[in-house]
Amino acid sequence: MPNVQSFNALRARSYLLRLPLFTRAMIAVMIAFALAGLQGAWNIQEWGALIPRELSITTKRFETEFGTLTSLALFFGPLTTIPALIYVFFDRFVLGANHAVLGASLWVFLLLGMEGVRTYKTNPYLVIGTYHVPTWTTPLFMAVVVQALVPGTSFIGHLCGVGTGYLCTSRPADELARNKRAMPRLLATILTLRRDPRLLKLPPYLSLLCIVVGVAWLLLLPLHDYSRRTYISENALLPGQVHTYFGGSDQNVFRAYRHEVDALKDKDNLEINDELENIFKTIGFKVGRQNYTYHSAGNTYTGENVYAILQAPRGDATEAIVLVSAWKNVKGEFNRNGVAIALTLARYFKRWSLWSKDIILVIPPDSRAAIQAWVDAYHDSHDSSTIAALPIKSGLLQGAVAIDYPHEGRFEGVHIVYDGVNGQLPNLDLINSVNNIANGQMGMHSFIQEKLGHSDKYNDRLKTMLRGMMNQGLGHAVGPHSSFIPYHVDAITLQPVGNGWHDEMGLGRLVEGTFRSLNNLLEHLHQSFFFYLLIQKDRFVSIGTYLPSAMLIAVNFTIMAILLWVKSGAVGVSEPTEVSTIKSKDTVENKEGKEDLAAKPPTSPAVEREIYLPLGIVIACHFLGALPLFIFNHTPSYLLAPFFLAFSALNIFFPSLILNMVNSTSTRPLTLQQFFLLKCFSLLLLGMFLSSLATLNFSLAFLVGLISAPLSFARPWPETPIMRFGYAALLQIASPTSAVLIGAAVYASSLGSSGAGAAAGLLDTLQHILSEAAFGWDVWGLYIPVVVWCVWWPAWLVGSVVVLGQPNMKKMKSA
Amino acid sequence: MGFHDTAGLYGAAAALRLALFTFFPALPDLLTSRVEVSTPVTSFKRLQEGLFLYSHNVSPYDGGVYHQAPLLLPLFSLLPNASMYPFFTYLVYIVVDIATADALYQIAESGEAAASKLFTSARKDRRWSGYVVAAIFLFNPFTIATCLGRPTNVFTTCAILHAVAKAISGHPLTSMLALSFASYLSMYPVLLLPPLLLLAYDRQNATNRVDSLVQFSLTAVLAVVACLSTLFTISYLLTGSWEFFASTYGIQLTLTDLTPNVGLWWYFFIEMFDSFRSFFLGVFWLHLSSYVGGLSIRVRSQPLAAITILLGIFSIFKPYPSIADISLSLAVVPLFRHVFPLMRYTFFAASTILYSAFLGPAFYYLWIYAGSGNANFFYAITLVWSLGQSLLVSDLTFAILRDEWEVERPEMAGKEIRQI
Repeated sequence: MPNVQSFNALRARSYLLRLPLFTRAMIAVMIAFALAGLQGAWNIQEWGALIPRELSITTKRFETEFGTLTSLALFFGPLTTIPALIYVFFDRFVLGANHAVLGASLWVFLLLGMEGVRTYKTNPYLVIGTYHVPTWTTPLFMAVVVQALVPGTSFIGHLCGVGTGYLCTSRPADELARNKRAMPRLLATILTLRRDPRLLKLPPYLSLLCIVVGVAWLLLLPLHDYSRRTYISENALLPGQVHTYFGGSDQNVFRAYRHEVDALKDKDNLEINDELENIFKTIGFKVGRQNYTYHSAGNTYTGENVYAILQAPRGDATEAIVLVSAWKNVKGEFNRNGVAIALTLARYFKRWSLWSKDIILVIPPDSRAAIQAWVDAYHDSHDSSTIAALPIKSGLLQGAVAIDYPHEGRFEGVHIVYDGVNGQLPNLDLINSVNNIANGQMGMHSFIQEKLGHSDKYNDRLKTMLRGMMNQGLGHAVGPHSSFIPYHVDAITLQPVGNGWHDEMGLGRLVEGTFRSLNNLLEHLHQSFFFYLLIQKDRFVSIGTYLPSAMLIAVNFTIMAILLWVKSGAVGVSEPTEVSTIKSKDTVENKEGKEDLAAKPPTSPAVEREIYLPLGIVIACHFLGALPLFIFNHTPSYLLAPFFLAFSALNIFFPSLILNMVNSTSTRPLTLQQFFLLKCFSLLLLGMFLSSLATLNFSLAFLVGLISAPLSFARPWPETPIMRFGYAALLQIASPTSAVLIGAAVYASSLGSSGAGAAAGLLDTLQHILSEAAFGWDVWGLYIPVVVWCVWWPAWLVGSVVVLGQPNMKKMKSA
Repeated sequence: MGFHDTAGLYGAAAALRLALFTFFPALPDLLTSRVEVSTPVTSFKRLQEGLFLYSHNVSPYDGGVYHQAPLLLPLFSLLPNASMYPFFTYLVYIVVDIATADALYQIAESGEAAASKLFTSARKDRRWSGYVVAAIFLFNPFTIATCLGRPTNVFTTCAILHAVAKAISGHPLTSMLALSFASYLSMYPVLLLPPLLLLAYDRQNATNRVDSLVQFSLTAVLAVVACLSTLFTISYLLTGSWEFFASTYGIQLTLTDLTPNVGLWWYFFIEMFDSFRSFFLGVFWLHLSSYVGGLSIRVRSQPLAAITILLGIFSIFKPYPSIADISLSLAVVPLFRHVFPLMRYTFFAASTILYSAFLGPAFYYLWIYAGSGNANFFYAITLVWSLGQSLLVSDLTFAILRDEWEVERPEMAGKEIRQI
């Protein structure tokens, strides 16, 4: 029995020499880091720190430190991560604290824990005086001593390390005779576990769990604990800190301009622009005009933009702010007050000498195509054959505010529209500033997502969020500001709504206040969030909190793909493959290409998979998606609805058509393994596309993922036709074409057509939606049609083929 | 083994590329400006800049944009202006792709991968014909994207594969010549010299074979040195100064241009303090070249395997890698069809590469265009991309070694092995 006296230097040295190589290497690394930590230039502590709250991805860390987290995950092996996870669990959820731990002491204690158990097996007790102390407790004593002596160490962290060390070594003693066997043993256990058939049963449930958790996650977001209050990140903005002077005699100017605008109401585009140019020149602005023509779905959109530039008295024309007031808003209403107030503001702004950025006032004839032409031309990315270049330009656009004010009389509050084309959003600071000025300085209400009178309860928050997601998912332009956002110009539209006591001057002051804030900017808005879901004008959910829900749904496809890959290589599936291969060879005498299966040496550990046919089908389906994409973007609008209905009808028979075609052209019907592989590749691609998409357009990825969730559980049911046709019918309901039809029906009913006119109304709505999609594709550059036809539809097609497939199961049973 | 077998395949590949060039006229320029396709040392745009300076009698290396070999300039100045008559440039790149595929065809047909002089695999019957291997190369999306993006390392790819093909067919001098060209263009292929030498030594013609390895290698190294010296002299005469050394190879050695790419170097060297820079440059280069000796010795019996693994390693750890490099490393992997059943992580590696191939452009977009992400986004994906590639390379290495081991210990074939 060892006792304290028997410790001497020789033993310590031999002990050091007997340490396993890895331990020695780790000690060397630790010392190296300790030395490196002494120099101040390179902050290792920050790099390696494990801070529980920052690990939970609820923070902005995702945006800023995604790379670091990934590299951490790559570099750290399970030895660190297991105790680290336990530590995080204890510290965050049990104790509710948030302490950062770092350093290699975790490893030290882990190894000490392992060593302690090993010593305990050989020498159970340490005799100190008359007391028999179990040797396995020594690491615990050490942890206590270290805690007492060394300041700033984490007792819990060390305990977690020791605990893991104990766990790693707590096995029968004979297995622990040599430490270097422990790791292979662990691996062997994992390997045997890998073969456990029960493991293959798990993934479908896991995948279902992913979907359920993903949806539940989204539904939890409106709760108070998962969202945060908005705040102004950019210090330079100082919203609402300046006195606004717009008002007084400007009221008379406004009435005069409104009179002018009224006189132009029924004139054509050119006459209007002539008159507007006159007004601008009288105020003292430089004026430019731009012609544009767009063709889409057989329609031509043509017109002329007029815009004016106020050169900044204190600037050098390197930066500019834009004020947009379209002649007509997105609904086609005459923006009477909006244009008048923009002209008044222009005249008012000219009188001030404090502008450090140019101010550009754009008056496009409509809010959809015209402003897109202007923004494209401003950034020189227009198609010069149909869209003219801008004769005069200013500097980099720092922000844009659009006024949409067809409303007559006094108003109650402003509706802030912020969704951009393709679901991109402006920086949250801009929205916050306008909210701040409107609520704090003007005493106006402000709303988002058409939710007037927001009760700030769960229901209203959820509705607001879902409307925001819908707009983001559709990716269409909801106001003249939308076209600015793809160019990374933060922009919003202000719409006065309701009946209240605020007059036009109030809106003018709001715009003035916003422009003063933007004028303060020293650099482009970048501080605050670009990815967020607003659930109320002053509460938001950041990307770290909401992204997991879409990612979980995308991951469910990947899990199933991996499962199917494993399954397709399992013996139960491969045996019939081989049997059928040989049989078909005997009968058909077709020897090309497949010999290698029969010639396979019986010794190969994994089963060879026949991947070419499934891979070919999946790739062909994805290329086939270009066909509907082309058709629906190049058909004249009056033919769109009939074409779509015909395509939907055909779509029902596509899967069986493909299945028949494959079965009749290939040498033998598809085997079960090939069906597994077919679905595996298709789901792998779907999961991949959706997870990439989720980083660009969360809502679209979520919606597509959710509707195609049944594809995860599609499988051939060769022996139960009811199940087969039932599931095929379910997939038909979840197909992209049905989704568009159902969407059109819902939209039509929300517009209020009913009874006999319903069918005609549905057709009109369908045509409207499809031509809108074509318009978006041609003018705004929407990529949503590509997602629908080249990602979603092919995945659906392959999924339906798999469900309808009838691989020969009898052979499987005989084998 | 003749051209008429593969004429259809090459025709189809050329037709596909021509169709893409013709029907999507914006595609080549789009791809040329992508960081995944064009690196500072291979970019077609930079070549145009160098060409402009060269044709106006200014040193092409003035301005610090052009970092490619000087001899490319007279070659491209023979062609009509690429912006006005792009067709001729397209044609050159298509021809180079097909020449590369032809070299690959010869390599695959020789059967060297499964049965070299010193080693014959038990699985040697399971292999793909040259036709299939060439088709996999020609229709690989990475190869097509490379062809459309027109980086100049397609010439290097072509030269490397021809060097291998010539070495196998028993023409050591021609092989060394081809390798010299590749090294002249991109420098890193010089690291392939040891395994290529062994390959050429093993496959000499019986008529004039040299039995001593030392004598053979001395002659071959001499040939490479002579050829490179000639090329350097011509370059010197062409540009009138030795400046091109610093601007071409110097850039690769010192990584002064930190344009993002799919490799691992740029981010490290952006973050690094200047005092550590030269040390880590040394470490990174040492790391890259350290594989050569080890692999040449360990896989001595299969020099082609060593070359394949090295090409994979280069495409991960090069200072300026691009998808042209992965298209080369993926081109030679199918030669080892016989060890595919032994590979364990093909699915994982393939899906990792696939995922990162899609997430990479998305994150680059978020960083550069949308402005809502930052450099960490893209770098994280390049890490994953390299992880996928290194999985593939290490898995292939495992499979090759296991295959070799099973020949030595036939009784262990098919049994689970455990590392002791």
